[in-house]
Amino acid sequence: MSEPVQQAVLRLGTRSFEPRERLVMAIVNRTPDSFYRPGATWDEGAAMDRVHQVVAEGADIIDIGGVPAAPGTAVDTSEEIRRTAGFIAAVRGAYPDVVISCDTWRHEVGRAVCAAGTDLINDSWGGWDSKLAEVAAEFGAGIVCAHVGTQEPRTRPFRVSYPDVMADVLEQTLALADRAVAAGVDPSRVVIDPAHDFGKNTWHSLEVTRRLAEMTATGWPVLVSLSNKDFIGETLNAPPEGRLVGTLAATAICAWQGARIFRVHQVRETRQVLDMVSAIRGDIPPARAVRALG
Amino acid sequence: MIVAAALCPAPPLLARELTGGDAVLPELREACGEAIRRLLRAEPETIAVVGAAAETGLWDPASRLDLSVFAPVARGPAGTPELPSSLGLGALLLDQAGYAGRRILQAVGQDEPAAACVELGERLARPAERIALLVMADGSARRSRRAPGHLDERSAGFDAAVEHAIRSGDLGALAAVDPALARELMATGRPAWQVLSGAMRALRPAADVLYAGDPFGVAYLVASLSTALP
Repeated sequence: MSEPVQQAVLRLGTRSFEPRERLVMAIVNRTPDSFYRPGATWDEGAAMDRVHQVVAEGADIIDIGGVPAAPGTAVDTSEEIRRTAGFIAAVRGAYPDVVISCDTWRHEVGRAVCAAGTDLINDSWGGWDSKLAEVAAEFGAGIVCAHVGTQEPRTRPFRVSYPDVMADVLEQTLALADRAVAAGVDPSRVVIDPAHDFGKNTWHSLEVTRRLAEMTATGWPVLVSLSNKDFIGETLNAPPEGRLVGTLAATAICAWQGARIFRVHQVRETRQVLDMVSAIRGDIPPARAVRALG
Repeated sequence: MIVAAALCPAPPLLARELTGGDAVLPELREACGEAIRRLLRAEPETIAVVGAAAETGLWDPASRLDLSVFAPVARGPAGTPELPSSLGLGALLLDQAGYAGRRILQAVGQDEPAAACVELGERLARPAERIALLVMADGSARRSRRAPGHLDERSAGFDAAVEHAIRSGDLGALAAVDPALARELMATGRPAWQVLSGAMRALRPAADVLYAGDPFGVAYLVASLSTALP
């Protein structure tokens, strides 16, 4: 493997983040049918309440999505825009400096949500719509470059296999990052994501977790989306509501290996884990240290 | 000549090493094992494993499934990473049954037209030696809302027709399965069924279905097909 490349400043919206900062991206689903607590923030008032809560709990980024990852009821472009753009404008109005991300794979949606104040396009279907990066460039937004193998949006992986899953992750995400920069996206606003569970079985997701340092060694900021996912459920034989501890364990492992953004449902618990990892690494001091010092 | 056939599905979870701490569907593995035991009772000189793959072609009979393509930490003898998993799983079933005789690993292209599949089956059946077929083929992967391909209402009727053709020994009906519909329903076994049809339809074999179910949204069918040949 080549020499690790140092991580640099990550810019999102008006904010700049040093490599030692570990960021919490809070999930706010504008859907009635996502896998975790379906419909909890389908109502716009409930969604805004959640934004207030996650900001208070220490979220750095709000990730708003209008379409669940799993197959199901079709959501067309106009419906996706209807679910997300107006709400994003409202969040922007309430929090001028919070980083807003939008989880979408469609460039038409990207355009509408960037106009409404989105700072980061979370292209979780791995560049399926190549025009999305152009939209990010046009609006000065950032983009997440995710690995999905050969999966199309809203499909499930079926008997996927890889001679070397991390090699495939690196090849796809780095190609997408290069493509985004070529399209004009500011390189300091490009993030890569191994996309746990997408195009992967549980063994593959465990492997990319174990080998995450190979991604962080590229120098690109790494986002991980682990929260309550099936690979954790299968590992611990736990239903969606029983996966928090497993999520936090995986979070710590990824943080230790240099991941910088953590897309989660549970903000307070994640913030604590990340602060603990940061303190162990020596990146932040303890909140209060008096033990044996008095 | 074809003396017997076994039909088994080809989910990676047939390999016990891939399901972790839980055995997951031991009854499916047992049914496959029984189908292979019956195949061996026909005393074949050669077993031809037939499975769908990206392209039609023969693989080195010494090739084995490489578990690490599914589970990077899996321990086991090194396999051939490029080997289509349908053939690798078939080879695994033969090894587990202790079969050490001559084998053929025949891949059939996922997009191969029906007529070409049937012709391939006829060619496999042509040699005078006693040949048994191990056909690794799955039905629709769109059998439920949790299925890999989500629910397609047409899948139940589609798979029922295939099962009926097997049970009744009317393998000619398999040659008529529409490749386009099979593709839409994610029924990856279609080309292998049609090879089976070409190899055995004239024999009108007696079938014993040992397992039929779709516990993960994919239609699995295990059957033992015997002929009146001595």
